[in-house]
Amino acid sequence: MSIFSGMTVKAASENQKQFVFDQAMLLTDTERTELESLAVELGEETETALLVLTLDGTDGKDIKKYVEDYYDDEAPGYDQPFGNTAILAIDMEQRDIYLAGFKKAEDNLDNATLDYIREQITPALSEGDYFEAFSTFMHESAYYLVDDPANLENDYDYSGIADSRNEYIEGNSSNGMLGLLSHWGFQLIVSIVLAGIVVSIMVFQSGGKVTVNGNTYMDKRNSKIINRHDRFIRKTVTKQRKPQNNSGGGGGITGGGHSHSGSRGKF
Amino acid sequence: MILHYKCPNCGGDMSFNADTGSLSCPSCGNEENIENYPENLMSASFEENEVKEYHCDNCGAVLLTEADTTATNCSFCGAGIVIADRLAGVLAPKKVIPFTISKEEAIIAFRKWCRKGLLTPKGFMSADRIKSITGMYVPFWLYDLNSDVDVTASCTKVRTYTSGDYIYTETKYYEAYRKINLDYVKIPVDASEKMNDELMDKLEPFPYEQLKDFKTPYLAGFISEKYNYTDSALLPRAKDKISDYVDSFVHSTFAGYHSIHYRDKNIDTRAVRSDYVLLPVWMVSYDYENQEHIFAMNGQTGKVVGKPPISKGKVALWFSGIAASSFLALKCVSFFMGGGFF
Repeated sequence: MSIFSGMTVKAASENQKQFVFDQAMLLTDTERTELESLAVELGEETETALLVLTLDGTDGKDIKKYVEDYYDDEAPGYDQPFGNTAILAIDMEQRDIYLAGFKKAEDNLDNATLDYIREQITPALSEGDYFEAFSTFMHESAYYLVDDPANLENDYDYSGIADSRNEYIEGNSSNGMLGLLSHWGFQLIVSIVLAGIVVSIMVFQSGGKVTVNGNTYMDKRNSKIINRHDRFIRKTVTKQRKPQNNSGGGGGITGGGHSHSGSRGKF
Repeated sequence: MILHYKCPNCGGDMSFNADTGSLSCPSCGNEENIENYPENLMSASFEENEVKEYHCDNCGAVLLTEADTTATNCSFCGAGIVIADRLAGVLAPKKVIPFTISKEEAIIAFRKWCRKGLLTPKGFMSADRIKSITGMYVPFWLYDLNSDVDVTASCTKVRTYTSGDYIYTETKYYEAYRKINLDYVKIPVDASEKMNDELMDKLEPFPYEQLKDFKTPYLAGFISEKYNYTDSALLPRAKDKISDYVDSFVHSTFAGYHSIHYRDKNIDTRAVRSDYVLLPVWMVSYDYENQEHIFAMNGQTGKVVGKPPISKGKVALWFSGIAASSFLALKCVSFFMGGGFF
């Protein structure tokens, strides 16, 4: 099957028709169909096109550049060209992974979130469990893309730190009605907690507080260290590779001028 | 034996005057210096249980006292009375801090304190329902404590640096030893059974430079009690009061280390000396909505302690006020950050 020749969606179509582009032939037909329908279902709830690209080599391009060019050339999007899009691309030759978020997905799936999702799916990819990795990508992305994850209509078990991650994202999204609203809730909670702490301190201290400390009663002339030693025992040095520039801190601007968030790594 | 101070000039009842610090006669204004007052309770001896009932020196009425009372006012004639045999021998206080805040000043200071309460109900702030205000010399033990500390700890210093493609974390391990001598002087512990320990602790600090050799006339016109607990009985509480101080001092001697793990920590605290003293406290009893609230005021510094009633309305007001304003502040911050400043 020729994948890219089938991409007549372009500007002509309002909606993304295909979501899984399995160039490297990693999926069975059933799996592909299942992922396609999952992408349609989650796409509607998140108003975002969730794309999966599997590649067998990238024509010598860096995978990040490849994904950027892909967005520029194919103009994917949920309801319009160059619209809300989250892309997972893996290259079997270099064993590279790249995740990118455009438009709404750039806000909700920032670099840190994409890093997190990438870490979630890397083990499955390494083991060759591609279907599992791709569906996890779609579910996890959807989780951060919707306003209220509780409304997601399926029984996927979202990973544990999602709540704290979600707050983090709320704190970071600075534009878009969605981000703003959830931002409010977050601010409200912070304000209420703060007020609660201050008022409790006020109530607690209304009966008078202790105003003496160790210095009040200490006889400073005679209170001192009489004898001391500090003996050096041993030294250990551990080293750790510096985080690579391209891993984690992804994102950037495509040749076509579209900014995006991103995360890259190996599997 | 009952001590009662009659004015040598006019025969009036004399009492201690907090403003001048002397024994004074309210009738003719005569002032007697207390520090030169002849008295030796230490060597005085009274036969125990000799007297079960005391009679007022002034009017002859039976004095109604509790077993612990050492100074009181005659309930009939109002004269200030000191029961000397309860202040003699082992019960003789060594020192006393006399009142410097008179009853009138105490009432004014208490009213002022009530008005400052941010959470107290409006009806309480006017402070017009003071049921009673009593000047009391509370028995305290002042301990001088010596702590001998031996500690051995495993400590680390951590340094990180980068070189080439790698981040290096260097951890140096040390064995650190400290021998520390700590002296804490005049740790006050109240020795009266009736007094709430927590309340008395909050009254600190007392100005020790005001400590005077004990003389009975200081008590004239005030209430006083003898101690219920001996110094050895209260030593654990004194030790407990300084244990946090000792710990934080020990910790401070390991400054510069990133982690401290105590392997061996030996704190030996002994009482070097303990003195029986009387410290001045105004006890204020206040009626608010059929409930009695007890407050204590340091008779030297005027510091007031005690749980005032809390107004739910005011708590709600403060809560919502703080919540609303911090919410607004956060909103502004995010607005500016979203507005491209960040």
